[in-house]
Amino acid sequence: MSDMPRGTATLSPFSGWRHSLAQNMSFLLSFVILAGLTLLYIGLFHGQLNAYPGTFEWTSVVNTAVPTVLVAVGQTIVVITRGIDLSVGGVIDVSNALAATHMKDSLASMVGWSLAILALGAVFGAINGILVAYGRLQPILVTLATLAILQGLAIWILPEPGGLIPPSYSNTLASTQGPWSLCFIALVAVAWLVLRRMTIGVRIFAIGNDESAARAHGIPVRRVKVIAFALSGLLAAASGLFLAASTTGGDAAAGDVYILTSIAAVVLGGISFYGGRGSALGSIAGAFVLTILTNVLFFAGINPLYQSFFQGVFLVIAVFLGVILGRLVKAST
Amino acid sequence: MSVGGSTGSGTRARDLLTVDRRRILVTFGAAILVFLVGAFLHPGFASAASVKAILVIASFVGLVAAGQTFVLLVGGIDLSIPWVLNAAGVLFATASLGRDSRAAYALLLALGLGALVGLVNGLCISYLAVPAVVMTLAMNGIMEGLTLGRTQGLTCETCRSYAPPALQNAIHAQLAGIPVQLILWFGVILAVTFILSFTTFGRKIYSTGSNAVASYLAGVNVRAVTVILYMLSGFFAALAGIVLVAYSGQATLGLGDPFLFQSIAAAVIGGVAILGGRGHYLGAVAGAISLIALISLLQAENMPDYGRSILYGVAILVVLLLFGREERT
Repeated sequence: MSDMPRGTATLSPFSGWRHSLAQNMSFLLSFVILAGLTLLYIGLFHGQLNAYPGTFEWTSVVNTAVPTVLVAVGQTIVVITRGIDLSVGGVIDVSNALAATHMKDSLASMVGWSLAILALGAVFGAINGILVAYGRLQPILVTLATLAILQGLAIWILPEPGGLIPPSYSNTLASTQGPWSLCFIALVAVAWLVLRRMTIGVRIFAIGNDESAARAHGIPVRRVKVIAFALSGLLAAASGLFLAASTTGGDAAAGDVYILTSIAAVVLGGISFYGGRGSALGSIAGAFVLTILTNVLFFAGINPLYQSFFQGVFLVIAVFLGVILGRLVKAST
Repeated sequence: MSVGGSTGSGTRARDLLTVDRRRILVTFGAAILVFLVGAFLHPGFASAASVKAILVIASFVGLVAAGQTFVLLVGGIDLSIPWVLNAAGVLFATASLGRDSRAAYALLLALGLGALVGLVNGLCISYLAVPAVVMTLAMNGIMEGLTLGRTQGLTCETCRSYAPPALQNAIHAQLAGIPVQLILWFGVILAVTFILSFTTFGRKIYSTGSNAVASYLAGVNVRAVTVILYMLSGFFAALAGIVLVAYSGQATLGLGDPFLFQSIAAAVIGGVAILGGRGHYLGAVAGAISLIALISLLQAENMPDYGRSILYGVAILVVLLLFGREERT
């Protein structure tokens, strides 16, 4: 494995900064967009309230972004293998419903149920992976079907929105005192950087780049796919737990919006839907872009009813910019 | 079909009954099976009135599935269907103001909207290389925002307009005992089948779906074909929206939500390959009928919502495992 290329940039026969810039254009773009949008947010906030966003505002931004970040990183891993996971919404639904109905206000219960729900999420993801890899089925269809199953399970567990999350759980995970939940994002980012340098990470990229070549090199393609989907399920479950903690209650349909949000974050993060390319750090930026965009639209005085219109336009423009800038830089090499 | 006939006629029969055609017949068989099981459990489930009612519900899915099948055949996908459908339905009701005199104008406007949205989708996908999943997903959001924003969340003055009474009556009427809605669907089935099976455009769709590069080299204008197919998808989503509004009398929000997954499921159950190049609208028609018959049967069984959702997912998985597996590589 030592001679496996470890990054997309080193794959190329031409080296040099121009090429690596072209290769990473959409990834860099996600951070440029994030920076620009954050400045715009601060500016609008200042214009409206004559003050800068303080701890309260940043805490709220971070707490809103964390569930999207978690699920988007999972989605990234699957998309890099050239798949897609629509069932993440269902996994969030089930985790959210389970946490709201079963978690008691004791350390043992909180830790026990958290671990159990994370494990369950990984199992759901692994089932998707087994159906895709060993059943030789299309990811979009498999996860569409398991999404319906998981949504049904969630409503069975929690028919009406409600339940109660122990306050100490909420305060620990999603503290409103400060943006402490940033440490979860840091944790996921570090885990990603480690993962992509491990054998499994390299294999995930290899499968996405060229599945048959990866198989010819002796990579256990099917097992790697199962692991990728299991990781996506695990992160979706973590997202469901955090969502339960920050909303302090359960809702069996709370996860549904995250299907599209996670895909949008992945797109904004510059991950290629043709597989083998991208970084979860981009998706993390993408998840923050989506969160801050909502705030920007609010402070820009835009009617909330138009929110999804602007999100859609923003998404198309971002993808379009990535394609165009990538081509321009490549053409100049 | 002569079982003990000469080898010559046997081969001919096999030529006629290709794998893909057999798949369509199996799906129609599955629909009939659901009706038989239903009749056994609930006397009256397979009565003429009940079958008609189920077919009418299936026809809405079937109309949407026509467009979805077109784009799936070239390996695309249209996720913008829910809000294109909803926007067209709302536009139809508000533009007609509930007057018959404005019905034709409203109809053209709403169908034009669907085709226009499809045009934008198709242009961005084929000329700007935006992935279909991303483009149509974003377009769904754009249409949702436009619909909600322009109508102030469907609270505007004209939003209370009913569909023109003439169209409402027409869609509920029966001709020789057959609901007009089903006749409309039958017309669409004939038209789409004609396009797919008997025109050069149909050949171009299949060749683009099987191998876009080879088709391009063979002189097929792959980009133009793709754009037209997305326009057709938008057109059929709009048509379904109009028909739904005419059927229920008034436009509502969330009208299109069930139709995205159901249109994909109907096409896939009927043997349309999601990677393109294989399948036929007739399969999607059979898929829509079996799917809706199954859902109706579960409703008749008083199955709670969550149980239906679970069984629906399991049914799709079973169909996929039986028929949807890719070749071993």
